[in-house]
Amino acid sequence: MHLKYESFVREPLVDGDKTYRQVTEDIISPIEKKPGRMWYVGFFFSVALLMFGVFSVTWAVYWGLGTWNVNRTIGWGWDITNFVWWVGIGHAGTLISAILLLFRQGWRTGVNRAAEAMTIFAVMCAGQFPIFHMGRVWDAFFVMPYPNSRGALWPNFNSPLMWDVFAISTYFTVSLLFWYSGLIPDFATVRDRAKTALRKRLYGVASFGWTGTVKNWQRHEALSLVLAGLSTPLVLSVHTIVSFDFATSVIPGWHTTIFPPYFVAGAIFSGFAMVQTLLIMVRKILHLEEYITIGHLEAMNKVIVLTGSIVGVAYLTELFMAWYSQVPYEMGAFKWRIAGPYWWSYWAMMTCNVISPQFFWFKKLRRNVPFTFIMSIVVNIGMWFERFVIIVTSLYRDYLPGSWAYYTPAWPEIGFYLGTFGLFFTCFFLFAKYFPVIAVAEIKFVLKTSGQSYKQKMEVIDEKSAEDFVHEQEHAH
Amino acid sequence: MSQKQYWKGLEELQDTAAHKEVVANEFKEPLPFDLSDSLLEATTPRRDFLKYLGYSTVAATLVASCEMPVRRAIPYAIKPEDIVPGVPNYYASTFVDGGDYCAVVVKTRDGRPIKIEGNERSSISRGGTSARVQASVLNLYDKARLRQPYADGKEATFEAIDRSVKDALSSNTKPVYILTGSMMSPTTKEIISQFVAKYPTAKHVVYDPISYSGMLLANEASYGKRALPSYHFDKAQTIVSLGADFLGTWLSPIEFAKQYGAGRKVSVKNMKLSKLYNVESMHTITGAAADHRATCKPSETGAVAIALYNAIVSGTQPALASKKLNDLVNGAAADLKKGNGLVVCGSNDVNIQIVVNAINNAIGANGNTINWGVTSNYKQGIDADMVAMVDAMNAGQVGAVMIHGVNPVYEYHDNKKFIDGLVKVPVTVSFADHMDETAQRCKFIVPDHNYLESWGDAEPKTGYYSLMQPGIAPLFKTRAFQDSLMTWAGSTTTYGDFWKQYWTNKLGGQSNFDAALQDGIIEPATMPTAGASFAGNVADAIAKVQVAKASTGLELVVYQKVAIGHGGAWSNNPWLLEMPDPITKATWDNYACVSPKRAKELDKGGSQDVELTGINEVVTAKRVIKIKANGTDVELPVVVVPGMHNDVVAIAVGYGRNAKIGRAAANMGKNAYPFVSYNGQTFAYNTGVTIEKTANKYDVAITQTHHSYEGRPIVHEYTFEEFAKDPNVLQKEREAEIGEFAHLPWVEEKKEKKGAEEGAEEGTDKTVTGANSKMEEGFRQNGTLYPNYESPGIHWGMSIDLNSCIGCGACVIGCQAENNISVVGKDHILKAHEMHWIRIDRYFSGMPDEPDTIQTMFQPMMCQHCDNAPCENVCPVSATNHSSEGLNQMAYNRCIGTKYCANNCPYKVRHFNWMDWNGADSFADNLYEDGRRDDMNDDLTRMVLNPDVTVRSRGVMEKCTFCVQRLQDAKLTAKKLGRPMQDGEARTACQQACPTDAIVFGNVNDTTSAIHKLRKEEHRERTFYVIEQIHTLPNVNYLAKVRNTDVIVGGNEKTDDFMNQHI
Repeated sequence: MHLKYESFVREPLVDGDKTYRQVTEDIISPIEKKPGRMWYVGFFFSVALLMFGVFSVTWAVYWGLGTWNVNRTIGWGWDITNFVWWVGIGHAGTLISAILLLFRQGWRTGVNRAAEAMTIFAVMCAGQFPIFHMGRVWDAFFVMPYPNSRGALWPNFNSPLMWDVFAISTYFTVSLLFWYSGLIPDFATVRDRAKTALRKRLYGVASFGWTGTVKNWQRHEALSLVLAGLSTPLVLSVHTIVSFDFATSVIPGWHTTIFPPYFVAGAIFSGFAMVQTLLIMVRKILHLEEYITIGHLEAMNKVIVLTGSIVGVAYLTELFMAWYSQVPYEMGAFKWRIAGPYWWSYWAMMTCNVISPQFFWFKKLRRNVPFTFIMSIVVNIGMWFERFVIIVTSLYRDYLPGSWAYYTPAWPEIGFYLGTFGLFFTCFFLFAKYFPVIAVAEIKFVLKTSGQSYKQKMEVIDEKSAEDFVHEQEHAH
Repeated sequence: MSQKQYWKGLEELQDTAAHKEVVANEFKEPLPFDLSDSLLEATTPRRDFLKYLGYSTVAATLVASCEMPVRRAIPYAIKPEDIVPGVPNYYASTFVDGGDYCAVVVKTRDGRPIKIEGNERSSISRGGTSARVQASVLNLYDKARLRQPYADGKEATFEAIDRSVKDALSSNTKPVYILTGSMMSPTTKEIISQFVAKYPTAKHVVYDPISYSGMLLANEASYGKRALPSYHFDKAQTIVSLGADFLGTWLSPIEFAKQYGAGRKVSVKNMKLSKLYNVESMHTITGAAADHRATCKPSETGAVAIALYNAIVSGTQPALASKKLNDLVNGAAADLKKGNGLVVCGSNDVNIQIVVNAINNAIGANGNTINWGVTSNYKQGIDADMVAMVDAMNAGQVGAVMIHGVNPVYEYHDNKKFIDGLVKVPVTVSFADHMDETAQRCKFIVPDHNYLESWGDAEPKTGYYSLMQPGIAPLFKTRAFQDSLMTWAGSTTTYGDFWKQYWTNKLGGQSNFDAALQDGIIEPATMPTAGASFAGNVADAIAKVQVAKASTGLELVVYQKVAIGHGGAWSNNPWLLEMPDPITKATWDNYACVSPKRAKELDKGGSQDVELTGINEVVTAKRVIKIKANGTDVELPVVVVPGMHNDVVAIAVGYGRNAKIGRAAANMGKNAYPFVSYNGQTFAYNTGVTIEKTANKYDVAITQTHHSYEGRPIVHEYTFEEFAKDPNVLQKEREAEIGEFAHLPWVEEKKEKKGAEEGAEEGTDKTVTGANSKMEEGFRQNGTLYPNYESPGIHWGMSIDLNSCIGCGACVIGCQAENNISVVGKDHILKAHEMHWIRIDRYFSGMPDEPDTIQTMFQPMMCQHCDNAPCENVCPVSATNHSSEGLNQMAYNRCIGTKYCANNCPYKVRHFNWMDWNGADSFADNLYEDGRRDDMNDDLTRMVLNPDVTVRSRGVMEKCTFCVQRLQDAKLTAKKLGRPMQDGEARTACQQACPTDAIVFGNVNDTTSAIHKLRKEEHRERTFYVIEQIHTLPNVNYLAKVRNTDVIVGGNEKTDDFMNQHI
C-alpha cells in the first residue's frame, strides 16, 4: 500500500516534529477542552441565523409562496440557485475523499475529514430548497415511489426533478456512510483517552466497539475502498443530474448538452473554494497549521485554477454555440444575459469565475494564505452568480416577449438562504467541537513517510551514495 | 289470563347447574382476552396492553379526525320543478347599463346566476359580449351593494320612505326632476309618463356622463331627427373613424365589433378585406386595428373632418398638421368615393358631427352603411338639459330630484355646482345600488335591483325589443326603480305585473309572450332600411368649426377604459379592475397616458429618469406628474403609450372613487371628470392642459413589460397586397423551417418498402393542402426521437384569428367567470403573479417617437395544449398529463407546486397559486401577510363561483383547460341522446365571449368541423403555430394578420425602432 520512502521533492504533509502521540494530542485534545470564546460567538451567530431561516421558511409555508418574488415567468429564483450552489459545494468533499483516495493522493489526509463534513452539511442545506420551494410542501412525499391506494400512481420517472430526488438522497447516504466509517477509529481514540464516564460511553457507542485489531483495520480499509468506489461515480453523476434539470428543458440557455461536464467542473471549483474558506479558518482557530499546511492549500488552489479554467471555456463555448446555431431565441438568451437588465450578474460571474482564478498561476499567490482566503470567497460568489445567471437570466427573456419579466428576491427568500448558512455553520461548529476535524488515523498513516521530522531523518541516508547505502545495508546485521 | 310460561328447552325447565352457568355468563365462548381487574396482573398482560393501546389509539384518531367544520347547506324542502341540482338553467335576458346594451343569456346553477353569455338570437349583439357584460355577474354579488333603503343616512323601511316622499311630493309646488341615464326601456318610459301625469310639474331629464349630444343635435340639424342611426360596419368596405373607438367604447362596441369582425375574415376564397382609416389623438383598440392610422390633437378633429369633406366633395388637397394626416385623408377620400364607405366621429361637437354627416351624405352612406330606417336608442341625453337642471337646482327652483342610473356628484364636470344645487333641493332621492357619491348626499336612498334580479325590457333600436328577466330573487331589501315611481304615483300594481300586462297586450297573448320571454328578443323579420335626406348647413358648420382654432399647447383627452367604462358600479368590480388595459396592459389604476417623446421632454436636464420611459421591466414605479386644466389639477403617474399624439395627455374616467363605493374601488387613481367642460351647447371631453413633473413616484401594476415582438416569428403580419400576391408566403416560411422533416430519406424508404409490400398506393396528394398536411404530419412524426401517439376519436383544437382579434378582453373576463380564476390584487400584479388563463399579448412596432408609424397587434395567448408538451415530462409527480383527446390536463390534487412545468413552458401560460386566493387551504385567513380579510372570499362573492370547476388551493399550478367541463358536458349530452357530438356543441368560454368570432374551437378529427375546415381549407394559408419548430405540437393555431395597408413596419429594422431599442 505505501511507499516507505518519499522523495524530498515532495514537501512534507505534516510539519513539525510529530510523534503518533503528539498527533493524537494535537487533534483530539480540542474535543476534550472547553471551546474558546470565538467558538461560542460563532456558534451563537450560526444558531441565530438558523432561527431566522426557520422563521423565513415558516412564513413562506404559512402564507404561501406569494411571499416570495418568483413569478409567472421566473418560477425559480433564489431557491433553486441556492440549491444548485450548495449541492455544488458538496462535491469537493467527495472528490477529496473518493477520487483522491483511489489516486493515492497523500495530501488528502489532512483535509478529507473536514471536507467530507462540509459535503454532508452542504447537501443538508441544499436539500432544504427543493423541499420548501414546493407550493404544497406537506405533499412532498408524492415524489417517492411508494405503494399507495390511488391506483397504480407512480411518480414520473421522465422528470429530472425525480432523478434529483434519487441522486441527492443517494449522494447524501453514501457520503454520510463514508464519512462515518472514517470516523470510527478516531472515535475509538477519543473513547480510549476519555476521562469522563459520559464521554467514554458516548464515544464508545459511536465507535461501534472498535478495538484496533488487524482484522478491524483490514475490514475498515476494504470498506473505505468500496465506498470510495461507490462515491467516485457520484462525484460526476450528482451534478450531472442536477444539470439535467436545465439541460433537458426547452428553454434557451438551459437546453444545452454542455451542461453536465460544465456543472461538474463548476461544482468542484466551488467546492474547493469552500474547503479553502473553511480550512483556513479551522487551522487558524484550532491551531492545526502543522497538519493543514501551505502545501495543502496550494494543492487545492491548483485544482481551483484548473476547474475555473474549464468553467471559463464552458462559458465561451456556450456563447459560441449560441452564435453558431443561429437560433434567434438562443442568441437572444445570451444577448440578454450579457447586455439585458441582468448584465451585472453575468459580469459578476465572469469576473469572479474566469478572471480571478487565473491569479493562481502564480506560485506566490497560490501559497499566500490571506489571498487564498479572499479568493475562495470570490469564487463562491462567482459560482453563486453562475447559477443565478443560468436560472434567472434564461427564464426572464425566453421565447415570447409578451411574457418577459424581472425578478428580485423578497425577504423570506433571502432569509431562507441565510438560514441555510446558519444550518451549515451550526453543524460545522458542532463538528469542530465534538469530532476530530482531521483524520487522526490517516495522518498517522502518512506521518512516517511524509512528516517533516521523518523526512529530515532520511536526509542523512539520502546524502549517502548508493554504494555506501548498499554496503551499509548488506552489513547491517 | 294465566301466566303461562314457555321454556326454551328442558335445561331451563329443569334448571340444571349447567344452565345456570350459561345464564350467568353473558358470552358463551370464553372471551379472547382476559377481563381481569388489573391489567398488569392479567394472564397475558403484554398482549392485552397492546390490544387496548391499539384500540384506543385508533379510536382516538378516528374520533379526532372525524371532527369536520360545520358546512351550511340548505336543501330544498320542496324541490322546484325546473331546478335539477347540477344542471344549469338558462334565462334570456338583457344587459343594460346606461346606453350600453347587450342581449344575454344568464346561466344559473341552483338558483344563482354564475355566467352571462351573449344571446345569439339578437340581430344586434349577435351573441357577442364585452368584458363588462361578462363581469356584470360579479356586480350582483358585490359586497358593497346597498342592502336596504336609507332615509337621512339611516336605515329605513320602504313604507316610511314612501310616506315621506309622497307627502313631500304632494305638498311640493316646485317641479320634480327625474334624472336618469339614457333610457331604453319602453315600460319604464311609460311609468315615467304616468308619474308625470300624476305630478304635472315633473320633468324627465336624461343625462349621459359620456355624452353623444353633439351627434343627436347634429342629426336633428342634418336630418330633422334627434336620433342615432344604425351603423353597418359589415357592409362598409372603407371605414373612417375620427376619434370614435367603435370597437372599444363608442356607442355600441359589441354590435360594431361583430360587424367589423365579419369584414376581416380574409382568405383565398374570400379576397375581401375592409379597410379602416383611423385618426385619433390617443391610442385605442380601434387605432390598433386600423389599417391606416394617423394622430391629431383632439382640437384638430374638426379640421380633419373638414379636410376629408373637401377632399371628397371638391378634391381639395388637405393641408393638415402632418404629412401622414394629409396622406390618410387623401387615401380615405379616394376609397370612400368608391362607395360602401362609412365615416364615424367620436367628437361631441355638433358642428363637427354635421360635417361628418355631410361626408356620409356625400359618399352615399345613408341608406347603405348608415340606416335611418331603424334608429338606435343607445344615447338620448342632451347636455343642455342637464346644465339647465343644475342651474334650476342652484336657483332653488327644484322641489325634488330623483336620480337613477347616473351619479352626477362624481360624473358631472362641475360637481361642486351640482352639490351646491342638490343642497337646495328639499327632496332628493337616489335609486343607486351602491352608496355612490350622489347617494351619499341624497335624503332618501331606495336601492334598485341589480339587472339580474329585475324584470324589464329595452328597445335598443326602434322596433327591436329585448326582454329582461331575473335570474335570482332579490338578494337584499331592494326595490325596482319603477316600483318606487309607481308607488309614489299612487299606482297599486307592481312593476312586474304592469310589465307582463304591457308585453302580453303588445304581443297579443300569453303564448306569444312566453315565446318572446324565452327568446329574450322581439325583432322584425328583416331590418327595414332607409336613407335620409341631408339638410344640414355644411358651410355654416365648417365656418363654426374653423372659428374654434386649434390650441397650440398640450391637450388633454378624457376617455373611457375598455374595462371600466364610465365608472358606476364597474369601478368596484375586481375582475374589471384587474383586467389589463388592452393598450397599456396596466391594471387597477388610472394614469396619465403620454407619448414616449412627450415623456422624454418631461425629463428635463436629461436625468435618465427611468420612471418616465416605457421601460417597466425592472422599475415598476412611474413618475407622478401634476396635470392642470379647467382650473383644477390632479397628480397622476405617467404611463408611456406609444402611438399617442405627442401633444396629448389622456386620462381615463371611472377611478378616484369614494371609499364607500367598495373596497376594490377605494384609493385607486383620480377622477378625470372635472376635466370635462361645457361649451354652451355640449360637453367637451378635451381641453388645453399643462403638466409638470413632481418628485413623487407611484407604482403602476403593468402585466406586460416588453413592447416589441423583437422581429421574432411568433406573430405574422403582412399587407393585403402581399397576401393577394402570394397567399402561401407564410406556408413557405413554415416549409423552410419544418419542411425537411416531411421527407426524411430513411423514413421515406421505410414507407416505400411498406407500401410495396402491402401493394398500397402511397398518398399522391399533390395539392398544396396535401403538401401542407404532409409537412405537418412529417414534422409530427419525424421531428422527434419519441413515439408518436395516435389520437383517435376526438382531438380538440383551437384557432385564433389575429386579424379579427381586437384585443377587447371579453375572452379574458369570460374565462375568469367560467373558470373561477382568482383576483390577485395590485400588489401581486406588481410581482407578476396574475392568474388570467388567457392573456392578450400586445406588441407595438414602428418608431416610438413618431406616433403615426405605430402599428399595434394583439395575440391572445393561453395554454397551447401541446401534444408534445414540455410541461408534462418535467412534472415529478405526473400532475400534468395528456388526454387522448389532446388536452393538456392538470390534476390539482396531485400537484405539489415545483413550478418546473411553468419554467419549461415556452409560452409561459401556466399560473401558480402563489397565495390562498380562494380560502381553499388548511390555514385560515392567510391571504394577506398582514392578516387582512378579502371581499372575494366572502360567502356572498363566492356565490359567483362555477360549481363545475374546481376551486384551486394555494400552491398548485393551473392553466387553461379548454373549458374541459364544457367539453365533458357536450360529450355527455350527445351520449345521452345516443348520437355523436356535433360541431359547435362544445364551446369554450373565450370563444363564446368573443365579439368578433376570432376564436374557433372544435374537434380536429371531425372533417366536417369548422376548425378542421379552417385549418385545412378556408384559412390554410394564414395558419401557423407559435414556435412550432421546437416540436411542442400545439393544438392552438393562429391565423396571420393581414393589414389592408401599404407597409408592415413590424419586424423590419428600418421601420421598427422598438425592435432595435428592445423595449
